Amino acid sequence: MRNLIIFLRRYFNFFLFLLLEVICIVLVFQNNSFQHAAYVNSANNVSGKLYDKYNNVQYYFHLKATNDSLVAENTRLHNAIRSSYDSMVTTNGTRVDTIRRYSDDTTHKIISTEIRRFQYFEAKVINNSLNKPMNYITIHRGSKQGIKPNMGVISPSGVVGVVRSVSDNYAVVLSLLSKSNSVSISARLAQGKEMGSVHWDGDDPAYATLRDIPKSAQLHKGDTVVTSGFSALFPENIPIGYVEGFSQGDKASTSLTVKLRLATNFYNLQYVYVIENLLKDEQQSLEDSTYKLIK
Amino acid sequence: MSILLRNIIRFVLLLLIQVFVLNEILIHQLVSPYIYMLFILVLPFNLPRPALMLLGLLMGLSLDMFMNTMGMHAAACVFIAYLRPFIINILSPQGGFETTQKTPSMTSMGVSQFLIYAAILVFLHHTVYFTLEVFGFANPLYLLLKIILSSAASLFLIILYEMLFFSRK
Repeated sequence: MRNLIIFLRRYFNFFLFLLLEVICIVLVFQNNSFQHAAYVNSANNVSGKLYDKYNNVQYYFHLKATNDSLVAENTRLHNAIRSSYDSMVTTNGTRVDTIRRYSDDTTHKIISTEIRRFQYFEAKVINNSLNKPMNYITIHRGSKQGIKPNMGVISPSGVVGVVRSVSDNYAVVLSLLSKSNSVSISARLAQGKEMGSVHWDGDDPAYATLRDIPKSAQLHKGDTVVTSGFSALFPENIPIGYVEGFSQGDKASTSLTVKLRLATNFYNLQYVYVIENLLKDEQQSLEDSTYKLIK
Repeated sequence: MSILLRNIIRFVLLLLIQVFVLNEILIHQLVSPYIYMLFILVLPFNLPRPALMLLGLLMGLSLDMFMNTMGMHAAACVFIAYLRPFIINILSPQGGFETTQKTPSMTSMGVSQFLIYAAILVFLHHTVYFTLEVFGFANPLYLLLKIILSSAASLFLIILYEMLFFSRK
């Protein structure tokens, strides 16, 4: 026993070193699990506030580009609303927007049965990284303002990422620019409707790869690739990117690998929209219960 | 200025430079310079090793908090904090350095000695950090290039910082 204590005291430094390293490595691995909401990250109050202050200064340098993208989006939305169309068919009568309303208390009972599937929240980007294998975006909107983990995030021009962890006033978004197998977005060609999945290969923040497109698909440079709407995260037909080029891969494979120019410009991201899918739980529980039945 | 105060200021200053200046610069996919570990490099000579390692952990975790890389920087910092006394021992002349100044710097160690000291520790730090970040040896050439190029960039910044902030007595 005495020898053991002497041994421990002699190599105290080394054991302390091992202990600290083990703590660090455990932290690394805990943080790697995709859903794990780590408290100590850039969503917490100290670093969140600092990033916020810093962004106040930095924001001015991007004002022009931000304005342009917002105006472009306004135009697109103006073109989409009903009053822009001269409706010649009068026999159909009045059309009413359908909205599902929930009670405010915790039970979330449905008050009226009209259906609204997606709700959008705007959020200011206060920090954004581009040059790491896994990139994160911090936004100034948190659980107090209705953000929950696993909500989809889009920019005025296209898909951005998925909310990963949330604090009171901030949230951290796992960007589409994440070199990981767990980050892929269900996509399809806007014209041919063929399905595939979009990954980022870690090189250039402006490009990503679309995989699993069948060889029969008709592809042209500049074709739009949009979200499929199959996952509960994003509505369908939100642009992800545009076809830049494609290759057959080896002859044995049955699918094409397509290089995409991303629709979102991650270099000057200033505002994003967070999407809540109000019917997500319903879809999820139905799918889960069906899956259990088959099993 | 007392050594304690000086180190606290340096801690905050280096953290701010790292987060708000260096992390915002996109030079190349292979070159991402880090300067914050200079804090560990220039802690006083006579600091006991447990204190060194705990300060390394603190510095690493503070940066991890900003960069969402939980534990990676901390692991690299603890690693170089542990190895620092060995390196100083190897580099020091017989009987230790003339301790008119109590911290490692170009004046107390000599320019070439300090450069070797900084280069070794920066290289070790980057090796641990990028290995953890890339996680896997699938592309060893990419990893090696990234470590070497980033180390060179970091070392350049550290020399610049030393020349700016240290009066030669």
